[in-house]
Amino acid sequence: MTFRIPHSAFRILVAFWRLNVAEELQYRANFVASVLGTLFSMATALLTLALFFHHTTTLGGWDYWQIVVLLGVFNALTGVIEAVLRPGIGQLAGEVRSGELDLVLVKPVDAQGFVSFRRVDIWRFTDVVLGLGLAGYALFRLGHTPSLAQLAAFGLSLAAAAVVVYAIWVVLMSLAFWFVSVENIAVLFDAVYEGARYPASAYPGALRFLFVYLIPIAWTTTIPASALTGRLRPEIALVAAGVAAVAFALARALWRAALRRYSGASG
Amino acid sequence: MIKRYAALIRNAWLVDLQYRASIVLWLLWGVTEPAIALGIWWAIAGDGSVAGYARADFARYFFAVMLINQLTIAWDSRPLHPAHEAVAENIAYKARTASVILVVWLVVTVAWPAVRLPFDPGRWAVTAVAVLLAAAMRFFISFTTGLLAFWTTRATAIMDLHAGVSLFLAGRIAPLALLPPAVAGVAGMLWFRSMLAFPVDLLTGAVHGTDAIVRGLAAQLVWLGVWVGAYRLAWIRGLRRYGAVGG
Repeated sequence: MTFRIPHSAFRILVAFWRLNVAEELQYRANFVASVLGTLFSMATALLTLALFFHHTTTLGGWDYWQIVVLLGVFNALTGVIEAVLRPGIGQLAGEVRSGELDLVLVKPVDAQGFVSFRRVDIWRFTDVVLGLGLAGYALFRLGHTPSLAQLAAFGLSLAAAAVVVYAIWVVLMSLAFWFVSVENIAVLFDAVYEGARYPASAYPGALRFLFVYLIPIAWTTTIPASALTGRLRPEIALVAAGVAAVAFALARALWRAALRRYSGASG
Repeated sequence: MIKRYAALIRNAWLVDLQYRASIVLWLLWGVTEPAIALGIWWAIAGDGSVAGYARADFARYFFAVMLINQLTIAWDSRPLHPAHEAVAENIAYKARTASVILVVWLVVTVAWPAVRLPFDPGRWAVTAVAVLLAAAMRFFISFTTGLLAFWTTRATAIMDLHAGVSLFLAGRIAPLALLPPAVAGVAGMLWFRSMLAFPVDLLTGAVHGTDAIVRGLAAQLVWLGVWVGAYRLAWIRGLRRYGAVGG
């Protein structure tokens, strides 16, 4: 029998997910609670937006329904974060601290891949559906039917957004190797990601620079929403893909450096 | 009693010191929401003003929100935790985070005089009282909702619901003056204004006149009383229920 790492890693993940899903299906009440929670947070976000637009007609050059499209994208990405990233890689800081990471590292699979995708909270995927639904409704209210090119650009930039968000998590968790006491480092993500609720152009210059170039959260919601509503030319999706690739490469490099440090410390 | 408290607070302070980086992160997380709200109102106000609030007024308002929110936050009051220890932990945490915000605010006032507060020791003293009342109330609200864990496994969902409503009614996302009048009225009738908006408006000077100040403080006292009552009721009923299940 030939033993190929990528293939076996995939089989392991599928096995993990199957167990995971079976476990979650026992708690169907969680599904209802999760949907209600999402609807409530969407309602608060819409009310907040309504309050802002009670006093203005545009925000950073975006009108109300355009920002609702963006909120839909924000919600869809939140679903990915809560379903995959937080239950998986989000646990890492605590494991570095407790030493449980050793149990991951001895497994014959790529540690980053394993840590990232070992666990899924399937109910939170409903956030993705609800978010995209909200974006669709807002498009309808705008009377804007996206062209095929716009839809493709949206799909690509949304995938790029997921990669950027993932890279930010990897960077944060890698930092936990140096600052062992910050078990709550995930709150740093929550703090920054809050900024993605509104278009980058709504913020003062310094903050906008930060969001576009340093902590690239502008690429997570502003760009996909822009592609979908036709605010930017579809080619922007290629730039988004480039940003995602760079972010991923940097995060992977930092992760490797962090792991070398961890092995050094325990060995 | 005071000596015991001093020892507990000192202890909590020392425990906190070990987790300095963590505390910085919690602080950052706590100020993000008002900072983003400020950024948005900043953009909306532009060079003009919104319902009488210009950029500097928004800056002053949200700096006060950050400060008073840190001072009144009911941090992690677990239901079965001995109350006094929880209070001491609370005070140590607040002293630390609030002093950071105060220092930042002072630094900002040097560069940007518009966010300075008028020098008014009398107002500051009244604000201190209002902050104490608000902190006590938030503590009992959090304790009471925590006690709901005796009855439901989703006590945190109820806390989230309360937090979501207070986003608007307590003045976290905007000064109450910017809400539709009916909504602001509801906030004034319930406990939400007493939790945060009232002490903030006191500090920035948006509430003036002895009459308004006395009425605000009276509302705080009444709602504090209501929440203490709710807490005692929940505690007694909850213990009885817990005993019944266990025994």
